[in-house]
Amino acid sequence: MSKSSPRRPFGRNTGTVTVIEAKVHRSSARNARLAFILTAVIVGLLSAVVAASYMHPILALFTGAAIAVPLGGVAWVLVRIWPVLRVLWWWTPEIGITTLLGAGWVQLANHTPGPVTLVVVALVVGVPAALPASRRALVAWTWCLIVRHRLRVCFAQFIIANQSGSLPIILWAKPTPVGERVWVYLRPGLSLADLEGRLDRIAVACHASAALIERASDGNAAYLRFDIKRREVLTAQVGSPLVDVIDPATPATDRPTPAVPTALDLPDVDVPTITLPAQKKPPATANGSKPAASSSAPEDDISDWI
Amino acid sequence: MTIATAPTAGIPVGPGLSMFDPIFVGIDEFGHPVYITLAYRNLLAGGEPGGGKSGLLNTIAAHAALSVDSRLVLLDGKLVELGQWEDCADAFIGPDITAALDVLKRLQLVMNNRYAWLRAHGRRKLTAADGLSVITVLVDEIAFYSATVGSKQEQEEFVALLRDLVARGRAAGIPVVAATQRPSFDIIPTSLRDLFGYRAAFRCTTPNSSNIVLGHGWAEQGYTATDIQPTNQGAAYLIAEGGTPRRIKVAYLSDSQIAGIADYAAWIRRPRPLPAQVPDLTRLDLGMAA
Repeated sequence: MSKSSPRRPFGRNTGTVTVIEAKVHRSSARNARLAFILTAVIVGLLSAVVAASYMHPILALFTGAAIAVPLGGVAWVLVRIWPVLRVLWWWTPEIGITTLLGAGWVQLANHTPGPVTLVVVALVVGVPAALPASRRALVAWTWCLIVRHRLRVCFAQFIIANQSGSLPIILWAKPTPVGERVWVYLRPGLSLADLEGRLDRIAVACHASAALIERASDGNAAYLRFDIKRREVLTAQVGSPLVDVIDPATPATDRPTPAVPTALDLPDVDVPTITLPAQKKPPATANGSKPAASSSAPEDDISDWI
Repeated sequence: MTIATAPTAGIPVGPGLSMFDPIFVGIDEFGHPVYITLAYRNLLAGGEPGGGKSGLLNTIAAHAALSVDSRLVLLDGKLVELGQWEDCADAFIGPDITAALDVLKRLQLVMNNRYAWLRAHGRRKLTAADGLSVITVLVDEIAFYSATVGSKQEQEEFVALLRDLVARGRAAGIPVVAATQRPSFDIIPTSLRDLFGYRAAFRCTTPNSSNIVLGHGWAEQGYTATDIQPTNQGAAYLIAEGGTPRRIKVAYLSDSQIAGIADYAAWIRRPRPLPAQVPDLTRLDLGMAA
């Protein structure tokens, strides 16, 4: 993906089109050099100081240098291959699950005859898939794995974080009744307000209906919580738990039968007979031109006026 | 609760709820339960007819009816929304503004006495340990009393008394829960509307109506009750603990469930109806306070 950037990470790069990967690559090379120098200097000095108590200081300096250079090299390699390590880290759950499944399959196939292998596989796959509860749980947790990758794609593709291209740390995710909830720790360059304007695009990237974001911590603005919504729970009917605390064998209360009005239809009422209780004068409302008494029963009349 | 002769069916035991407990009102958009604590707050519900306001009122009434430290004062111009709670209510007022004014004056007197009592004890608000009941005032359709029935003077008196309850009743354990369809200034004065701490906006037809319920400015920030589906009764925006509107779905009680809870509440409460003799409402108990 090419992207035109108004500012260059380094003064000497004055090209108008920058490939993000190249930028990250340069940053990685510089970081590796820095890591080599820092590690070599610190390890070399420490080793030399320690060695100086056993030998001549000049020999100790040579010893320190001999220890420092390989260790600095290790640090350089680690930083240099960091992008690869990072990708491995991102896919750790998938790699782990695939490895476990593959190893399990190999062990199973090696130690059981063919029909037994098939039966075991059918049980292991079929039972969780057949039970609705476990199937829903599996699907929900699978979405959690997917959403973490999709969020990372959002940050890498269209949410420009900072010049070194560091991505927010996407922490754990867990299923909610409406979708998934993902906790994210932002790196410098992003804020809650930056992300709020992009929630519609995040929802698209996550194959969801909507995405919400809020702070997960009062004390740290970098710690955020994404709520990915795929389903709507507000259309469900919610029962009250109070129904369960009452005794169903409650004796019904004796209620005196109230006076049942009889004039329940429009022709049943005469014009002057019906008046609202305790009403001193007809209210002045929008349909005030109509006589108040022209409505039917008192209840209907009241609701008409409101 | 002691009774003279134990009934053969067993002695009813209350569920031990308190009005100082959080009240379950429904679920939020993530499927998590939503609770509000009503003892020190007033709630205003608004929204178009059939939006679910009565569901919220009935859920709160159910909790209040099953609470041990609770009294219910119901004002319902429509008679049927809260009518099933009549047996467990200490006062149930139908479409009668004179009776409504009487009960509000009584409540005002109780409130004055409670504040004098609090002052005498050097305190500032009622707590659960005081053993005094929380008098929950539920008003369905404020507009009926404040703009429809009665003379202009009676309507103004109703609004003034209700405003006093909403303004001062909080710390005296007299929360007010009111519902109306559109609480615009011609229905209830803005000075009364803005005193309600909790707001629930059920479906509205215009962003302006939503703003009138929730408070000005929320529609511009994306919290508008116009985006609630008309078919989704009981969905609302609620401003309560937290400060920003949350989308919630209010718990629904069917008529038979309400009847069951009301019967049970009447069985365990045996409410003492208010004495028929109206006290001298002109007297002021300020001598005690002074």
